[in-house]
Amino acid sequence: MVSILVYYVLNPLFILAVSPLFAGIIKKVKALAQGRTGAPVWQPYLQLCKLFRKEIIYSDNASFIMRLAPYLNTAFMVAAATMVPVIFLPPEGSAATNIILFLYLMVSARFFMALAGLDAGSSFGGMGSSREMSLSAIAEPVTIITCAAVAFVLNTTGIAGMFAATLAGSLLDFPTLLLAGVSLFIILIIETSRVPVDNPETHLELTMVHEAMVLEQSGPNLALMEISHGIKQTLLMALLINLLFPQGMAGDFNIAGMAVGAVSFIIKGSVLSIVIAIFESSLAKIRFFRLPSFFMVALFFSFITVVFELLF
Amino acid sequence: MNTTLPAISLAILAAAGILAFLRLAQPHAVWRRLSLLLITAGLVMVIAAVIPVLIQDLRLHLPLYHLNGPLVIDFYLDRLAAFFILVISLVGICAAVYSLGYVEQHMEPKRRQWLLGLMAFFILAMIAVVASGNYFTLILSWEIMSLSSFFLVILEREQAENRKAGIYYLVMTQFSTVFLLFSCLTVYHSTGSMDITTSIPANIMPVALLGFLAGFGTKAGLMPLHKWLPYAHSAAPSNISALMSGVMLKTAIYGIIRIMLNLAAMPLWWGIVLLALGTASAVFGVIYALKEHDLKKLLAYHSIENIGIIVTGLGLYTIFTWYGIELLAVMSLTGALFHSLNHALFKSLLFMTAGNVINATRSRNIEHMGGLVKRMPATAATFLIGAAAISALPPLNGFASEILLFQSYLGAFQIPSIFVAAGVFASLAAFALMSALAAACFVKAFGITFLAMPRSPEAALAREAGWSMTTAPAILAGLCIAAGAGSARFFKWAGLELTVPDLLPVGLIILFVICILFVFMRLLKAPVRKAETWNCGQTAITSRTEYTATGFSEPIITIFSPVFRTQKKLWRNFTDAAEAVIRGGRAEITTLKFFEERIYLPLVRLAMTIGRKISTWQNGDLDNFIMYAFIAIAASILLAGWWL
Repeated sequence: MVSILVYYVLNPLFILAVSPLFAGIIKKVKALAQGRTGAPVWQPYLQLCKLFRKEIIYSDNASFIMRLAPYLNTAFMVAAATMVPVIFLPPEGSAATNIILFLYLMVSARFFMALAGLDAGSSFGGMGSSREMSLSAIAEPVTIITCAAVAFVLNTTGIAGMFAATLAGSLLDFPTLLLAGVSLFIILIIETSRVPVDNPETHLELTMVHEAMVLEQSGPNLALMEISHGIKQTLLMALLINLLFPQGMAGDFNIAGMAVGAVSFIIKGSVLSIVIAIFESSLAKIRFFRLPSFFMVALFFSFITVVFELLF
Repeated sequence: MNTTLPAISLAILAAAGILAFLRLAQPHAVWRRLSLLLITAGLVMVIAAVIPVLIQDLRLHLPLYHLNGPLVIDFYLDRLAAFFILVISLVGICAAVYSLGYVEQHMEPKRRQWLLGLMAFFILAMIAVVASGNYFTLILSWEIMSLSSFFLVILEREQAENRKAGIYYLVMTQFSTVFLLFSCLTVYHSTGSMDITTSIPANIMPVALLGFLAGFGTKAGLMPLHKWLPYAHSAAPSNISALMSGVMLKTAIYGIIRIMLNLAAMPLWWGIVLLALGTASAVFGVIYALKEHDLKKLLAYHSIENIGIIVTGLGLYTIFTWYGIELLAVMSLTGALFHSLNHALFKSLLFMTAGNVINATRSRNIEHMGGLVKRMPATAATFLIGAAAISALPPLNGFASEILLFQSYLGAFQIPSIFVAAGVFASLAAFALMSALAAACFVKAFGITFLAMPRSPEAALAREAGWSMTTAPAILAGLCIAAGAGSARFFKWAGLELTVPDLLPVGLIILFVICILFVFMRLLKAPVRKAETWNCGQTAITSRTEYTATGFSEPIITIFSPVFRTQKKLWRNFTDAAEAVIRGGRAEITTLKFFEERIYLPLVRLAMTIGRKISTWQNGDLDNFIMYAFIAIAASILLAGWWL
């Protein structure tokens, strides 16, 4: 009972705390790749502090959707954060960690973010919402099939159960997870709006998707939007990390194991952030209507996983 | 169990209809309210009558009237029928509450009477269809249901569009009756029993099954027999659209399930057919919905999508039963049934709120709306809940039923045949696509209709609908939340062992986090200012610069252009011979109405050609006609002798 309460409090808080760090690392590595010094890795924390002290500006056209969206968005992502164990595994069957529910919590957050994009009546926000919903629609089959493949390989639909299985075995027991991992990595790139799908750096009409949607947000509301985006990125990274390399995560509730779990997650997350940054730096943005073929690569890998598992 | 309660409740419903018709000459609001009160009272009694059946798992025959031979008007109630009657009654009560305000809104007084009278008989007939004890009662009430809804569709017959919709609907609904009649007679011929629970013998099974599928599938709006649905739903008054889409389609789903239960063993091909048809309807339904800017047609296409989801669930049920995977079979069937209830709740909610919007703006085109969230806050809030529910956002009810289907899909690797398993996984990919497109479509529907600035003078002057027209959707919205959050607890209480996540704690976590954030933001005391935000460098934002529905769905339409068969033609004039400077030009974008132009029209043309050939025989010559009669009689004697 204590362990489950600790899990429900500690897991989201930990994810909340480390997500700006990963964002900072990605930015730093990208800057280095471009030959710049870049901001320090803790810059996103300062950024959030600054935003929380600023004023909120609402457009005259904005309605309660605009005011509610940041709260709803963060709440959905925090709820999703209770479903991906990162430090220690909750006791079996105690927490709802269904993978479909997890995916649909992210869909819910996106739904309200897209509505907020349309709320102010500027064509920028509308364009962002339209592009985001179109991209997520064609990405959804990829995501679900990948999750189905993972659920199939590990024989459970609960995320905690999946991690328990990978923690008990090793990657050699589930070689097809590597294939699904490729798809998961592409999904991570799509969902966190990174190059080649979207460019998180620019505010150019031609390239942006996610940034256009949150353009109307300001002050603490924008901070909440950034926080929820950060949580989403960390969650997807955690999913990939703990499926392929769960070593270090505590299997049950004990203080020493949790400390090791937390440190090892930060290290693994930092490594993955560097990989993401290098991946981003080495690619150019793909034209919007060419993106479906990029998604098809992920779909191909997840279908291959399913076919391999069905055959052998 | 006592049979008087059902009888009295149905009599009250009939009385409500008759009262409305009796007062055609002296229409007065008091009588209409009495009619609606009677409908509500009748439906409450119907619910009271079916709840014992649901709980105690009773099987009741209620013979009403013996006509001749096997033709008996007989009602039969079991858990399945009781469940669907419960759905019809729940939505019916809300529709009655909604109609209190809605019928007074427009149209001449006499038509209000017609609307109410037909509505009472429509609800009565739907209950009768589901409660039918034999094929005769089924066909009889099926026809009453079809005809009463046909008259409701053409209620505003002044508009040519509505007349066309009515004729389309009438033809398609008769098409469905023909197939039903054929299958019913086939079963009767082979077994000698009219009873609705007659087990279908193996030798006629494929024919009868396909006949029932064509008959019920047309009414349910399964592709490719769906074309009547968007026309009829947009032509009918909104309270009737809510009933048609929310529950009339479910009577056909009930029919399909009832027939499946009558099979000794469901064949595998049946499961595959249902899965394929269901997936196709779900995906194409939502893709067509994305293109639609008529709010009611958009919702109607989403009905096709949701019927597709339900039929997909039935297909999975059949496939898992065939392979003996009991747990997943139960889960898919529960998913299909639960989604029938959920779709009834959120779709009638959406049609009712759409009715409010259409009344307020005098337009069905969402490009003429916008900014309504400030003018109609209650309608907007309820529509938002409905939109979130239909987009399968947790913890609402749309997600609660879709996750049952997702969970059964994820179990598909237990299927021993690789080909069937791969097919189910392919269907899963399509199912996921459909679900995400539905969310995109409802961002468009809500965003363009309610948010930003009004796009027409009518929208700027829109006013909130009356209390009854906001209360009824609010009740449904409450039911949507309750059915979603309470789903897992309800399944446990009902004794169903399903591995689904409990959505109540998830909902509570979300609520809890929102409260914490709210308190936190209050403590921050961030100054709030209302001002002009970034407007892309223009001097002022007007409704002309807003993102439109067309613009919103353009990327998806471009990505799926092979489905729409979009054709873009360009004509350009140049000022110079080198064709470098454009002077002007013309562009044309056409989309192919695939089903109409490639399936329906060729069939119609074939029928016309045959008809023209036959009409040459009809030359008015008496001798010829006598010869035709002679040939017909001789042929029928010969055929009968050979057949029997």
